[in-house]
Amino acid sequence: MSNEKIVEIRKLSKTIGKKQIIKNLNLDLHKGEITGFLGPNGAGKTTTIRMMVGLMKPTQGDILIGGKSIRTDFEGSIEKVGVIVENPEMYKFMSGYKNLVHFARMHKGVTKARIDEVIQQVGMQNRIKEKVGSYSLGMRQRLGLAQALLNNPEFLILDEPTNGLDPAGIREFRMYLRKVARENDVAIFVSSHLLSEIELLCDRIAIIQNGELIDIKNVNEHQQSRYYIEAKPAEQAKQVLEEIGFTVHPHENGYLIDTEPEHIPGAIKLLTAAGVDLYAVQPHRTTLEDQFLEMTGGGEIAQAHTK
Amino acid sequence: MLKLIQNEWMKLWSKKATWIMAVLLIVILLANAGITKWIESTSPAPEMDWQEMEMMNLASAEDQLQNPDIGPAQQDYYEGQAAIAEYRLANDAEPFKVESLQQQVLDGHMMLSLVTLFTVIVGAGIVASEFSQGTIKMLLTRPVKRWKILTSKYITTMLFALLFAILTFVSIALFSWIFFGVGDGAFLVWNGSEVVEGSYWAEALKLSVLSLASTWMIGTFAFMLGTVFRSSSLAIGVSIFLMFVGVQLVFLLQRFEIVKYYLFTHTDLTQFYTGFMPIPDITMAMSLIVLTVYFLVFMVISYWTFSKRDVTA
Repeated sequence: MSNEKIVEIRKLSKTIGKKQIIKNLNLDLHKGEITGFLGPNGAGKTTTIRMMVGLMKPTQGDILIGGKSIRTDFEGSIEKVGVIVENPEMYKFMSGYKNLVHFARMHKGVTKARIDEVIQQVGMQNRIKEKVGSYSLGMRQRLGLAQALLNNPEFLILDEPTNGLDPAGIREFRMYLRKVARENDVAIFVSSHLLSEIELLCDRIAIIQNGELIDIKNVNEHQQSRYYIEAKPAEQAKQVLEEIGFTVHPHENGYLIDTEPEHIPGAIKLLTAAGVDLYAVQPHRTTLEDQFLEMTGGGEIAQAHTK
Repeated sequence: MLKLIQNEWMKLWSKKATWIMAVLLIVILLANAGITKWIESTSPAPEMDWQEMEMMNLASAEDQLQNPDIGPAQQDYYEGQAAIAEYRLANDAEPFKVESLQQQVLDGHMMLSLVTLFTVIVGAGIVASEFSQGTIKMLLTRPVKRWKILTSKYITTMLFALLFAILTFVSIALFSWIFFGVGDGAFLVWNGSEVVEGSYWAEALKLSVLSLASTWMIGTFAFMLGTVFRSSSLAIGVSIFLMFVGVQLVFLLQRFEIVKYYLFTHTDLTQFYTGFMPIPDITMAMSLIVLTVYFLVFMVISYWTFSKRDVTA
């Protein structure tokens, strides 16, 4: 990972009508890094992405891609960007190949050889001459990826790319993206509401809520080791654990304790010795979902829905 | 820019609808020639010979010249008509029959309203369909400025109109040649001082170019509506409605000064050469200025909305 900055979002704001959708957003993206973009519905993910690709104009602030401003040098800044916005809609009445030729003509220096190379990469050589209307959703996603890769992008933006794909398709898609990021040193920015998906794919996660960036974190950061203990009678178990010196947090039907694995057998012995019946002792991992809900205040998704 | 036009042209002709329009145009023209032939072969021989017809033309032209309400363009036209009729009678120069290649080609510009109709359909859909298909997202996230994309679409629409106009003339010439053949007669023009023989091809070309002004304006109007409202059906509907009703409004408005600035008073540029002018005191120069102003307004609205619009769909 070269860690070279490729995208800089600077003080980005967007106001539609009287409502400020995006508030002073700042974010850097680096080469070879996959950044996930998470947020409840209506938080401003799609708006941010649309501003990054020139579909919407920022009210304030700027986006620099490869050092070039999207406001003053649109053609220069978007030159090395590949985009998949939601479902890649293609011209259904034309073949996959003609679609690629169409988009290739809009970039500088995309040769016929490059088109064939991309078709190989996404494994579509057998059906590329057929009309897009006859493709399955998975095929269309692949064609969507192919068109985004045509210009050898240094930066890939994907908005909800796995919408409507089956688990096998999602897995395949994830492999492609990882490969592209590693091999071509491409920065990838993916928005999604599928938390588990983002967790598996991304190196880094940016979380947006109500138009503001609330957190940026690395996915594989060391997590505090925690254990979940379920025992009866619960009160007595709690007492024993506190006597040993653990801080005890109630969780579901039992308790969570922060400790390293080597202390666990001792704790179990003490608990059984005190006549407590143990039902479960297991390591507890906070998933991204838990963290996400914790950060965005849980009910927010439901709230955003009803707005 | 050439590549963008190439793209638009490829998309246009990848749609079945475009081919259907081309086939439809040819079928209509074929049917038109066929029906003319059928009427000719079933109706009895004309009661008048061409000399009597020319005498009637002469009389009606002289009649019109007495009318104090006619404008300068009409004055010229009827003077020419009278002179030509006199010349024909004096020199025994027969005019073309309706059922001849020559007359069919001369009247061919009247068929260009079909081209207008198809151009409206294409122009209204060329931007709107990108929105309805959702492909606009793919199109605008390329390193190409929006005004270039819109320009390529506009040029493609106009190229389509031109191609269909040429197709119309080739079809008319071909079908009337098959059905009627080349007839006898001479094409005469009044050059202001004397009657001389002219080329009917050149005359047909002149009238067609003038007719295409209307195709151009209405096509541009439909293009604007499609761009602004992103709905091709709305744009097609309104444009075709105006194409028919717009001209009628000229008659309703003819007593008011405003009619001189009304688009449809000026869309038919052939009126300066065919004698039929609802508003007699306009001139060609005035029409060209009015059309140019309308054109610029339509273009500014199209470009402005297209390049400012936030794409959210």
